[in-house]
Amino acid sequence: MSGTQLVELILNGLITGSIYALVGSGIALVYGTTRVLNFAHGELMMLPGYGFLMLAVTLGWPVLLSAIATLVLVMVLGGLIQRVTIAPLLNREDWAFQVVAATIGLSIFLQSAAQLIWGEQFQGVPYFFSGVAVIGEVRMPWQRIAILLIALLVMGLCGLVLYRTQIGRIIRATAQDAEAALAVGIPSGRVHTMVFAISAGLAGTAAILLSPLVTVSPWMGASYLLKGFAVVILGGLGSFGGAVAAGFLLGLIESFGVAFVSSEWSSVISFIFLIAVIWARPEGLFAGRGQ
Amino acid sequence: MLDVFGRRPYLVLLVLALLLLAVPFLPLDDYILHILTLFLIFAVFATGWNLTLGILGLKTLGHHAFFAIGAYASALVSHYFGVSPWLTVWIGAIAASIAGIVIGFPILRIRSMPHVAIVTLAFAEIVRLVFSNLKEITRGELGFWGIPPFNPIEIGGTTIRFGLGNSFGSFAVAAVMFVAIHLLLLVLLRSRAGLTFLAIRDAEAAAESLGVRLAAWKLFAFGISAAVVGLSGAVYAHYVLILTPSSVAGPEMLISLLAMIIVGGVGRFFGPLYGALLLTVTSELLRDFGDYRMLLYGALIIVFVFAAPAGIAGLKPSLRRKPHQAASEPAEAV
Repeated sequence: MSGTQLVELILNGLITGSIYALVGSGIALVYGTTRVLNFAHGELMMLPGYGFLMLAVTLGWPVLLSAIATLVLVMVLGGLIQRVTIAPLLNREDWAFQVVAATIGLSIFLQSAAQLIWGEQFQGVPYFFSGVAVIGEVRMPWQRIAILLIALLVMGLCGLVLYRTQIGRIIRATAQDAEAALAVGIPSGRVHTMVFAISAGLAGTAAILLSPLVTVSPWMGASYLLKGFAVVILGGLGSFGGAVAAGFLLGLIESFGVAFVSSEWSSVISFIFLIAVIWARPEGLFAGRGQ
Repeated sequence: MLDVFGRRPYLVLLVLALLLLAVPFLPLDDYILHILTLFLIFAVFATGWNLTLGILGLKTLGHHAFFAIGAYASALVSHYFGVSPWLTVWIGAIAASIAGIVIGFPILRIRSMPHVAIVTLAFAEIVRLVFSNLKEITRGELGFWGIPPFNPIEIGGTTIRFGLGNSFGSFAVAAVMFVAIHLLLLVLLRSRAGLTFLAIRDAEAAAESLGVRLAAWKLFAFGISAAVVGLSGAVYAHYVLILTPSSVAGPEMLISLLAMIIVGGVGRFFGPLYGALLLTVTSELLRDFGDYRMLLYGALIIVFVFAAPAGIAGLKPSLRRKPHQAASEPAEAV
């Protein structure tokens, strides 16, 4: 393997990984704070995909404006899903499974609804960064490099909010003990809704970054959902930083795996790796201090 | 126990068996027999899955993998080696059972629901991708056709034929499997094993402290559950005679079966059966609106989780008792 190939593999792995990290860290944030496994998270990626497509292509808005509008919409949607379909179930005895079942139902409902509304033809968005970056011998479209950079920026911003601000302290307090947080005056119900909105924003970012490279389809979220779950488990359930790290790791594993076997096996490699890790280290790869 | 089996479960099963026995004497056309055959196969699938999901309480989400393994194992062996499907369906069931025990091992160590759900889901995705990628053997998504139907049998001069198009024979096979599997499981679950499963579901730590060997019992439940599902998959394969990885191990299969179990009643012995009947019939009635099927299933899952979490099987007792359950609608967090 030449150096050029190696750099290319690493870059591709990091780019795929940054999408996994965006999706996974959102799921991890929600799970860590609310103990809810949201199976409709993939649709928080599919719907902004269509939203962005309609704003940027159909209506012809500028890319940045479309992106911001899409993100706002998807964050509202995320909060709404938490309020309407998840919060009412949380006080039930068997809520953990009922939430899973309800969000699976919601996920397939939204997928089929999208299929009925927008049809099965897959639609793409034109590149919003033109040109090709040349790093040594490696040539890589700026559009792909931008995925990595923007994803890092957005996740870094989230990390800053979580660990350096009052809101972050409130979220982490709720994550540790929602009742105790309630007792000191933190409205944990509202915090849960906010966390869902942030998680939806992360998924929406992933969708917007991906939309020029993959086609927008009713199933675009479903294919990333299971990868997102894998990332969450690998990173240690509910750990934001762990999920980010695991996302990049999974991207690299797939990218290097494809160098040796054909690409249709890449997901098989990821999931076998996931099961092996669960067998050996059920607490995840990056589990450390507490939650 | 009453909650799981309802009153007089053997009587219910006997009535069901008699009803099925009466079906061939009714003036039904082949199309209705076809729907009933599909219902019987999916009812066995749903009951097998409910064994881990509802009765053992392990929230597995990957049982469509065992259906696919049973279906493909039986279809491949009978096609490539010319073995009679009457024998290969058992190979399918055993293959699924082994897969169930293998995937049971990593799950044993974990009690967290998300881990179990995600591992089993990932396993199902592996199975789907493997069947779809091994194109030389399974023809991938093009579909594996040329699966032999069950060999004809002769009873008193009349030959009974099987497979799609021979509706009576196919219905008879599915009905025999349906009654036999439900009877066997009922006997098993009414014995010590059933009590142990329920003890593990309701109080795992307490059961362990009383000397229940959790690992062995969970693997046993996984093996049985996967075998039942695998058998239903094998019978399905020799009925429809064509398989594609996404039709047997894809998300639509997961959603359909999950909807059947939730609509029927998670953890009720006869629940999944009612759910399978309701959903198989409605999805055939809505056949002309094929695009709306998954929309309907998704909506049904949400509605039942919210309004009737115990499913159809759970509706009857709560009507007889005071409706105190309806009053315990949870208060929303601030």
